[in-house]
Amino acid sequence: MRIITHNMLKCHVKNCTDPNKQFPLRFKDVQLEQVEAERNDEFLVRMLPRLDWPALLKTSKELGMGLPESIPENPGEDEEFLQAVHTFIMETHVKEGSMVCDGCAHEYKISNGIPNMLLAEHEI
Amino acid sequence: MPPFIVHFAHYHEDFRLAELDALSLLENIQISYDRSKYSPDSPIFLIDIENSEQAEKLVRRAILIRSISEYWGSGHSYDDLFTEVKKRPERWDAYKQCSFKFTVDSFGKSLTQEQKIEIIERFSFLGFMGPIRMKNAEQEFFVFEDYGESDKPVPNQQARMIWFGRVIGRGSRDLVDRFDVKKRTYLGNTTMDAELSLLMANQALARPGSLVYDPFVGTGSFLLTCSHFGACSVGSDIDGRQIRGTAGFRRNVDGIRANLAQYNLGSRVLDTAVFDICRNPWRPGALFDAIVTDPPYGVRAGAKRLGRRNGTVPENSFRIVDGVTNYKRSDYYPPTVPYEMSDVISDLMEFAAEKLVVGGRLVYWLPTVAEEYDPRDVPVHPVLKLVANSEQPFGGWSRRLITMEKIDRFRGDANGDELSRCGSGDSHHDPAHKNFRDRYFSKFEPIDNEAAQTG
Repeated sequence: MRIITHNMLKCHVKNCTDPNKQFPLRFKDVQLEQVEAERNDEFLVRMLPRLDWPALLKTSKELGMGLPESIPENPGEDEEFLQAVHTFIMETHVKEGSMVCDGCAHEYKISNGIPNMLLAEHEI
Repeated sequence: MPPFIVHFAHYHEDFRLAELDALSLLENIQISYDRSKYSPDSPIFLIDIENSEQAEKLVRRAILIRSISEYWGSGHSYDDLFTEVKKRPERWDAYKQCSFKFTVDSFGKSLTQEQKIEIIERFSFLGFMGPIRMKNAEQEFFVFEDYGESDKPVPNQQARMIWFGRVIGRGSRDLVDRFDVKKRTYLGNTTMDAELSLLMANQALARPGSLVYDPFVGTGSFLLTCSHFGACSVGSDIDGRQIRGTAGFRRNVDGIRANLAQYNLGSRVLDTAVFDICRNPWRPGALFDAIVTDPPYGVRAGAKRLGRRNGTVPENSFRIVDGVTNYKRSDYYPPTVPYEMSDVISDLMEFAAEKLVVGGRLVYWLPTVAEEYDPRDVPVHPVLKLVANSEQPFGGWSRRLITMEKIDRFRGDANGDELSRCGSGDSHHDPAHKNFRDRYFSKFEPIDNEAAQTG
């Protein structure tokens, strides 16, 4: 699972509704892999307004990876910025581990790069 | 704007104009045509475009267009055709010396090689001196005899119309073969055929820079075709076995990922996740440029959603199995209940209304009962505008490819005002896809409304 996807997923357990806790999900015991991918600037620039930047920043610190504190004024022309975003959200893959909700402590498992976001019977 | 001859593939006739319109938007090329002149039983259609560069660009990713040609003339006989061609001899000059070839094609009757050569020779008045090359000719000229649809060949019949033009560009029909499901490393029993999957990518305006989502991803056909055209894509399914490839025709080949490797799309197909779209974890707001999907009809693969039948106590998740709370076990699978077709569709509309960006598209298949189809069967939504509705008939039933565009911002579940207006266009009208599975298995026998409601 790529970080861009993680940035779009929240905890959706019934009664777990505090927006400050259900997102972003906290990574736990993760095994990361960097997979080189062609940089797609058009896509990155179009996605910037759809990303939750504070959440992305929080996740990057959690994983010990570098990311600029904020989006520059002309992100499309900022080579260094685009490369940093690309490396983090498109090339960083979570192979194994889990994502934990700070609100209800639900653990969403990631195995072989595929997150399992299904809820249990008592959570729907 | 000058006229151009569009040579359609003679398949999916109800989808061809919809694709043409989508291509016009995708490539940002202005076209104009007379819809009343379109005939599903002819592969030829005239459209006006600014110039030939734009014509070439327009069709380059078309699935249902074979070629596009600069229009030089047409007629019910070769004499009529030649009279028109001869009105503009100045046009011939540019092609007098270059290498060229003639392609003679027909519809409704097949021509022998001898007949084709005879036809080509009749064009000698053009005075082309350049070498004839069957491969890599600099110019290609297109002669098309349209005899109309017929079951048996009629030798001396007159052509309805003969067309002549200079070939400008070709569509992408070769992709139909490249994405042929038989050639895929991984597939399942509900994998959509390549031609329609590719067509859906065009309807969705999938292109570089856009993000496409399939909430019933299955074996991932739409991720492949949308990402082939440059879009990034994500998918989800309640059934992770389809994604991982632990079920289906070809098991243990690493599922969807095997196809990504085969088509070299790993950098654009971003992720697939396991969850139920009814209980989805996407965070609020507009995330996607397009939603492209084939919702489960419940015919071949029974549609399911997470749920407990009639509110039973969720005791199963807390049961202790082998010393571990059940729901924390790695092989725990939550209970599911049947997911009725009309609920699937209305949930999908609600989801699209919230999660698409303005201008984004929802492209999905809707099954309808052929005899009883009513335009009201196509669900409406205040922020989703119907763009195209193309029918693929199967006898007793049809499936329709519905394309909708999000035209306004979604105000969410603010006061239920919008929610109450969505669904069928008429609240007293039961859409034909309601209880579709039961209707399918009863061979679409007419049933009275009351039985349908309780059934």
